[in-house]
Amino acid sequence: MIALESVTCRYEGRNRGDENGVDGGGTVAVDDVTLSVSDGEFLVVAGANGSGKTTLVRTFNGLVTPDAGTVSVNGVPVSEDLVAARTAVGMVFQEPRDQLVSATVGGDVAFGPENLGLSHGEIDRRVAVALDAVNMTDREDDRIDSLSGGERERVAIAGALAMEPDHLVCDEPFTWLDEPARESVLARLRELHAKGTGVVVVTHDLRGVLELADRVVGLADGRIVVAGPPHAAAPDLAGLGVRVPEAFDSAGGAGRPTDS
Amino acid sequence: MTLAYVPGDSLAHRLDPRTKLLVQIGFAAAAYAHTTPRELAALTLLAGGCLWAADGDLADLWTYRVAFPVLLLAPLVAGATIESPWFRLDRAAETALASYRVLLLLVVAAAYVRSTPIRDSRAALQRTVPGRAGAFLGAGVALVFRFLPLLRRDLLAAREAVCARGGGQLPARERMRLIAIAGTNRAFGRADRLGTALAARCFAWNPTLPRLSFGPADYLALALGAGLFAVAATAAL
Repeated sequence: MIALESVTCRYEGRNRGDENGVDGGGTVAVDDVTLSVSDGEFLVVAGANGSGKTTLVRTFNGLVTPDAGTVSVNGVPVSEDLVAARTAVGMVFQEPRDQLVSATVGGDVAFGPENLGLSHGEIDRRVAVALDAVNMTDREDDRIDSLSGGERERVAIAGALAMEPDHLVCDEPFTWLDEPARESVLARLRELHAKGTGVVVVTHDLRGVLELADRVVGLADGRIVVAGPPHAAAPDLAGLGVRVPEAFDSAGGAGRPTDS
Repeated sequence: MTLAYVPGDSLAHRLDPRTKLLVQIGFAAAAYAHTTPRELAALTLLAGGCLWAADGDLADLWTYRVAFPVLLLAPLVAGATIESPWFRLDRAAETALASYRVLLLLVVAAAYVRSTPIRDSRAALQRTVPGRAGAFLGAGVALVFRFLPLLRRDLLAAREAVCARGGGQLPARERMRLIAIAGTNRAFGRADRLGTALAARCFAWNPTLPRLSFGPADYLALALGAGLFAVAATAAL
């Protein structure tokens, strides 16, 4: 479980304060957020650009350290055991190129398990399982440079999965994808969730993903302003500058559609 | 074309990275000990053989084109004088041979880079250099090889962005300034994002390293490397 208690994150920026030290808190990206993510839960974090979504989820595994509040993963404060947090919470960045650090698919997926100091047999097993989970079996020797955007996204997901995380956090996973690639990534996320992996998707485009969610959290100006099951939260999400699918867009929601 | 590993099953791909490092170092020693045109011609054949063994070709050399102007200009600068005779051929020829030696080293380096995964290089260094120094060196080399292709791609993107809005018509100096500024900005941003990616994936100074082992071909290549050292030593004696 991921638990955030009164988390606030600030960035230095325009609001640096005057020479008397008045109002020098910088720009508040996340403002007093309390949130918990259960094991196996599919959570969608929705919000417009600059609403604090990315900063919020980056506190989950210590990539961003809160200025106030606490974040714990499986009961252990993230600040006390970063490796445990980063193993339990796999992160897929918005731009896969930022995440892929090796020349080949297999090398990149193995990068995380190697850093954990696992045995060669275990690394090989994890790489095979992770690539299978994203339908890229037998692509270990493919060059990263030769992959399409959707394939890169799937390799990034495989790299996170190879750490065998309890939660997989995908930050705007559909930004660079066309519709077939988007569908492919959604299918992979659906399968992972069905197998018990917790999934957190950060997005401003809820098409296809709202149907998979157990819960939606809407952010505005760093605060949680909407929270609840998709069918209940959807009517309020439209006001946040996010794209809500038509099936959920009518007042009062349309109920939870069946997956197809 | 890129400064990066290219998957394959060539002879060089099958060699242990430690063997390839030894051959490279031996080649460099021989190239600096034997500087006559005839000796360099022999080393040219060997360098070409290294590139061929890595399934590479002359196009790989294009990766290093940034060094070519320096290598070409060096003999001209060395030969130029400020009084009569205005150009000394002997000095220019000597520097031209030195430039050519550097070119040969780049050929051998290209063969190594295209046939050796980053993590194999890291493993070779950490197993050859003991202790923290090896870990530091191995991680450093791995980071450089991870970062350089990204940086190069960012510089190309900056150049395309400049050209896409008519920047191609600007004087070369102005284009260089624009690309340098954009490239520097992107490099810092890229370094930051790479650091975040490594942190997210639990970057470790002492990870599980790939298995390395010497095969039959390695012993031949090791003999070649040792032979190159011997050749270099004979010139020094």
